[in-house]
Amino acid sequence: MSKIAKSLLAITTAVAVTLTGGAAFAEYPEKPVNVIVPWGAGGDSDLTTRLWADAMEGALGTPVVVINKAGGGGVIGTTFVASSKNDGYTLVNAGLSNVLVTPNFSKTPYDFSSFVPVVKLSSVPLGILVPADSPYKTFDDFIAAAKAGRLTQGSWGAASSGTVLASIIADQAGYDVKFVHGNTTAESMVALIGGHIDSAVSFPPAFGPHVKSGRARLLVLNQKMAEYPNVPTFADYGIKGSFEGWSGVFAPKGTPPEVIQKLVNASGKVMDEPKVRKAFENMGANVDFRHGEAWTNDMLLNYDIMKNAAAKMKQ
Amino acid sequence: MIEILNNFFNGLGAVLAIGPIAGIIAGVCVGIFFGAIPGISAIMAIAIILPLTFYVDPVIGITMLLAVYKAGIYGGSISAILINTPGAAASFLTAQDGHALTKAGKAGKALGMALYASVTGEALATLVLIFVAAPISIISLQAGPIEKVFLLIFAFTVVGSMTGESISRGILSCCIGMLFAMVGMSSITGATRFSFGVPELMSGFTFLPLLIGVLVMPEVIDAIKKRKTPHYDLILEKSPNPDDNRVTWKEYRSVFGTMLKSTGIGTFIGALPGLGSSAAAFLAYGEAKRTSRKPETFGKGSLHGIAAAESANNAVCGSSMIPMLTLSIPGDDVTALLMGAFLIHGITPGPTIFYEHTDVIYAIFAGFLITDIFLLIIARAGFSFWTKVASIQRYYIFPCVTVFAIAGAFTTNQDLYDVLILICFTVFGYGMRLIGLNPAAFIIGFILTPLLEQNLDQAVAIVGKDYGMILASPFAWIFTALSAFSVFSAMRMKKKEKKKVAAPSAPERSAS
Repeated sequence: MSKIAKSLLAITTAVAVTLTGGAAFAEYPEKPVNVIVPWGAGGDSDLTTRLWADAMEGALGTPVVVINKAGGGGVIGTTFVASSKNDGYTLVNAGLSNVLVTPNFSKTPYDFSSFVPVVKLSSVPLGILVPADSPYKTFDDFIAAAKAGRLTQGSWGAASSGTVLASIIADQAGYDVKFVHGNTTAESMVALIGGHIDSAVSFPPAFGPHVKSGRARLLVLNQKMAEYPNVPTFADYGIKGSFEGWSGVFAPKGTPPEVIQKLVNASGKVMDEPKVRKAFENMGANVDFRHGEAWTNDMLLNYDIMKNAAAKMKQ
Repeated sequence: MIEILNNFFNGLGAVLAIGPIAGIIAGVCVGIFFGAIPGISAIMAIAIILPLTFYVDPVIGITMLLAVYKAGIYGGSISAILINTPGAAASFLTAQDGHALTKAGKAGKALGMALYASVTGEALATLVLIFVAAPISIISLQAGPIEKVFLLIFAFTVVGSMTGESISRGILSCCIGMLFAMVGMSSITGATRFSFGVPELMSGFTFLPLLIGVLVMPEVIDAIKKRKTPHYDLILEKSPNPDDNRVTWKEYRSVFGTMLKSTGIGTFIGALPGLGSSAAAFLAYGEAKRTSRKPETFGKGSLHGIAAAESANNAVCGSSMIPMLTLSIPGDDVTALLMGAFLIHGITPGPTIFYEHTDVIYAIFAGFLITDIFLLIIARAGFSFWTKVASIQRYYIFPCVTVFAIAGAFTTNQDLYDVLILICFTVFGYGMRLIGLNPAAFIIGFILTPLLEQNLDQAVAIVGKDYGMILASPFAWIFTALSAFSVFSAMRMKKKEKKKVAAPSAPERSAS
């Protein structure tokens, strides 16, 4: 091939690239990126998203704006993003509840396949707690008592992630509890340390202070945590599955891979910043930065587990 | 006690520095501004400011957030008084009496009363927080779902004193409100009720558009209807008497008892996690009306009404910090957000907070009180401007109210669907007015029902088949007795009113 032909080819290739994907996304992001939080302001997912968005502004060079679009148990905001333009300027705060649990329990206009997962930011392991003066010292005591009699367990809503996870655990361990539903994890902790219920499921941001102050006893956790070295995990009792709440970011289906990659890279950078990590840790959330195929497959596996649990609970 | 005072004065020293004071002033201004815009609630204002405080000193960051919160709650009463658009449930009671005063050309008096009652309620509740937080939090833990059920039943009896001539219509309105509150997903069964497949209805009707639709927009329609009638005032003349636009010392003294009582109610309710400021305001308002010498003035421009609603409402701000700080239990969405702010700053609320973070926590307490002083000064400075707003010709005001109502409905969830709710409930609210139903009782039913339903479900789940447990709590008996007393006195009040109407020439007797 002659020199001229070679350079012609190079030029045409360059032009072609620029004219197709390249031109549209070369400068992404060229305007502010919106992240929809499908919950009201102030919740755990809202705060983690705000921490991330605040740091992302520096890494992306454009403002990342958090918009609360609450309502419908997270369905309204999530639906809004599912049907938004897939140009990377509208993202959604995804978590266990709005993308894995709710689509399986209610009729939602979207499901898991309506999105491209971008990044997972943080996770919190689920734990089962009893009041400090409870006679159940270990999870075995608790299982035995729940099998023998009627125990109450605090959670946050019949179709909530907490109740679904707790039901899966109860099902595997072969016991039964009567759920007492509050609105939030914090509310069930109130009932627990007030001695009004026998047990509760909750996450470290809500139960941490009560366990440290000795008002509640943590029986079992999803995974080992440095703060609670002596607390066994569900796996120790032969219970399989991942019982954690998590917070991440999804984009609408069909968002160009270059854009996703850019967001992943920028997120990786900010989630490495010590001050961001510190802020997450102070909230009681573990920085659990994941992206890519392995993560997506893990979620798909969980999605099926939720689907089965939903079918069982609806019977 | 000496130690607390010592710590408090150390904290005062820490707060009286340029950084925290600047944060408080900025927070108060932002809070009043956002609070006064209908549709932007205190919690949204805090969420917007929150990222600014992530990386500053916790004393500055948290006092600033609290300043936004307190000023935001007060700011909500400004629009409630001037243009009858309450931004939150609690300020809708303020709108009832405050806007009646504005119509009488006494906007300054209403604004003043709301401000002084807010600051008084807040400051007293803050003192309770500083000195007796720990014992109160232990008591509040004892109140579980069973106790809350009875407390809420008591709160429902307020309907009796809220309604006008007809108690039966009031109860009917309240029941309709309860029915509307059922719409959406039940947290108890997970079933979706009355949503007819509309995903937007899964979490029920959005509160703010419903509130504005039922209470405010019918007023606008009424104004349009009356515009051609000769006696319709286009301008609300500011009363020429200067005493009509300020709160005199005598008036402040006369409502001080009401404020103390309402602050007590607000502090108590605030310390119980999960009930919130609206229940406190309802109870305080009902109680003030019940014990008032002139209950007929309530809803028509009573200073006692404003004082009761505002001081109870703001006392909740201070006392809801008690369970949050001492037990790390956030009682409502705002305290949950503030707790998040504490955690981000590396301060874990809980019983040890007073030992581990003595300096910070007492500096923040001192900041609370300083905020009250700045709120008083800054808000007072705005009065002349606000009262001018009240005397703008009404054909400018009402279009503005309509725009604010629609914008407010939209901003809550950034959803056009909420504007549709606003329009539907405007029609509904106007219809209620035409057939003599009571919108205030409707709102009470709508607000209290979800709380009652949830606590009742929890109580039933807890007792199982052992129904006797429901009546085992002394709280149950106390609140049942209070409810019976409240119903009885509402009926007695009605009888007296009837007698008065029947024999107008008879010498007026004190109705207390």
